Amino acid sequence: MSAAPVEPTRPSLAIRCGGIEFRNPILTASGTFGYGKEFDSLMPLSALGGLVTKGISPNPRCGNPAPRICETAAGMLNSIGLENVGVEGFATDKLPFLRTCGAKVLVNFFGTTLDDYVDCGERLGKLDGVDGLEMNVSCPNIKAGGIEFGRDPQILGDLVRACRKVISKPLWVKLTPNTSDIVALARACADAGADAVSVINTITAMAIDVRTRRPKLATTFGGLSGPAIKPIALRMVYQIHRSGIGIPICGIGGIQCATDAIEFFLAGASTVQVGTQNFIDPASAERITREVEEFCLQNNVSDVRELVGALKRQH
Amino acid sequence: MRYFDARVIENRTLGNGYFVLRLGGCDSLAQSRPGQFIMLRGDWGRDPLLPRPISLLSVAPEGRADLLAKSIGRGTRLLEAATHGTRVSILGPLGSSFPEPSAGRYDLFVAGGVGLPPLFMQGEHASRRGLVDHCEMIYGGRTSRDIVLLSEMRGLGLATCVATEDGSMGRRGRVTSALEARIDHHRATGRAQALRILACGPREMLWAVARIAEAQGIECYLSMEEQMACGFGVCLGCAIPARSRPFRYTCSDGPVFCASDLIIPPPPTATESAP
Repeated sequence: MSAAPVEPTRPSLAIRCGGIEFRNPILTASGTFGYGKEFDSLMPLSALGGLVTKGISPNPRCGNPAPRICETAAGMLNSIGLENVGVEGFATDKLPFLRTCGAKVLVNFFGTTLDDYVDCGERLGKLDGVDGLEMNVSCPNIKAGGIEFGRDPQILGDLVRACRKVISKPLWVKLTPNTSDIVALARACADAGADAVSVINTITAMAIDVRTRRPKLATTFGGLSGPAIKPIALRMVYQIHRSGIGIPICGIGGIQCATDAIEFFLAGASTVQVGTQNFIDPASAERITREVEEFCLQNNVSDVRELVGALKRQH
Repeated sequence: MRYFDARVIENRTLGNGYFVLRLGGCDSLAQSRPGQFIMLRGDWGRDPLLPRPISLLSVAPEGRADLLAKSIGRGTRLLEAATHGTRVSILGPLGSSFPEPSAGRYDLFVAGGVGLPPLFMQGEHASRRGLVDHCEMIYGGRTSRDIVLLSEMRGLGLATCVATEDGSMGRRGRVTSALEARIDHHRATGRAQALRILACGPREMLWAVARIAEAQGIECYLSMEEQMACGFGVCLGCAIPARSRPFRYTCSDGPVFCASDLIIPPPPTATESAP
């Protein structure tokens, strides 16, 4: 009698990050995955670790004039203008589906004043079906002359602290890369009580049409995303991890495949978000999840947590 | 909307950068309606990065789909070079479609250059339904080298009037002048009440068509083009100013819009229109 073939043990992909237990470490990024339902026919959303919704503001916003996007070398620029349905529209029209989708739901939110942020975060945090909140701090601070809230550690810390007071659910902060000191920003968030940082948001950039001699975006500047920014994102994740602050990190920036995701894990991220790739290959988040499992199987990694921060020093 | 892989089974060059790409394995597109489009991407690595929105020219049984494109940018240049067996990924069918042909209406199709496909498909649809006598094609380009698939349109029984800016084929002048002449003709023959205009082509041409339709009180549908990353209402990149809402989306509300819902800009001044 021959022995039954031994099935290889499936690696464990479950991981805790920023106060949330995820089935696996693959999430989808805000602004690239709508409100989830748009992708329902393309993949089982329950196969994802989590999804982050489009950024929500206290009231609906209609966004910027066109052109809003343009393609660049291995990337794209966007200046959508944070168009969204507002807290009420989200709670009524979008959340009922998300409650049933099977993935953890993080709601990205923002405001244009500190009070706006607090109001928005407090209302969203009380909604049933929201597993956590992610603050977008790359918005212009009207009271400070339009500079992004998230660029100054002091202002950022005050903002996160004010939101933390009214939000009991896990609170993540999506850091802007438009800074000379990403570690100072991460430290300000940790000190203010944030549960995790998402690293990074898009990089401010521009493109020019030489024929018309005009900027390619109606707003001149936009956010660069896609594989072009991955090395920068990876560097920032690693700097925060290496600093010893100890705040959990969700890595974002140009992830197209499992190898990209694993680079982020090794640099210190415990979860990642797939962003622009959702436009290029709309079923990619599920594929990357499968590929990560496959990588673990082939490389004798029994638990994905073994990879987090496991970068070896260069000789 | 389905996401699937297809293969190029034929790439027919039409000259001047125009080509018809015939794809196999597109059973999911069988129920597509004229005006709808697909997002298409080849194995291009990271540059160009985004899939390309392309209108359907024709769909047929056995999973066949035809696309007409002109080699202009990096994406279309790569498609022009695609050979038999080349794999492409497709998301579709996407977006809105033109209104159904009707025995009670007479549709003027206005196509400019590479804007032909959705109107060709509408002609094919009308032909299949026995309504090809209720529509006609007014087709314009810069020169005769921008006028393609004429014999195929003849094969559908679709009456076609050609206009070229240099007069190298058909009527000399812009397609909008030809449109005005055809409207005058139909008014003279008592058909004005039944007229509808369906148009696809360069943005300035579409605005000019919409202004003519508005001035003449004719129902008008425009198939718009805009930069987009996703094709199904996620990236919100393809916003277009509208009357019913501040913005509508070319991919999910369009690409076919009723012209009366769009904010049509005033005609360009002499300085703006100078070459």
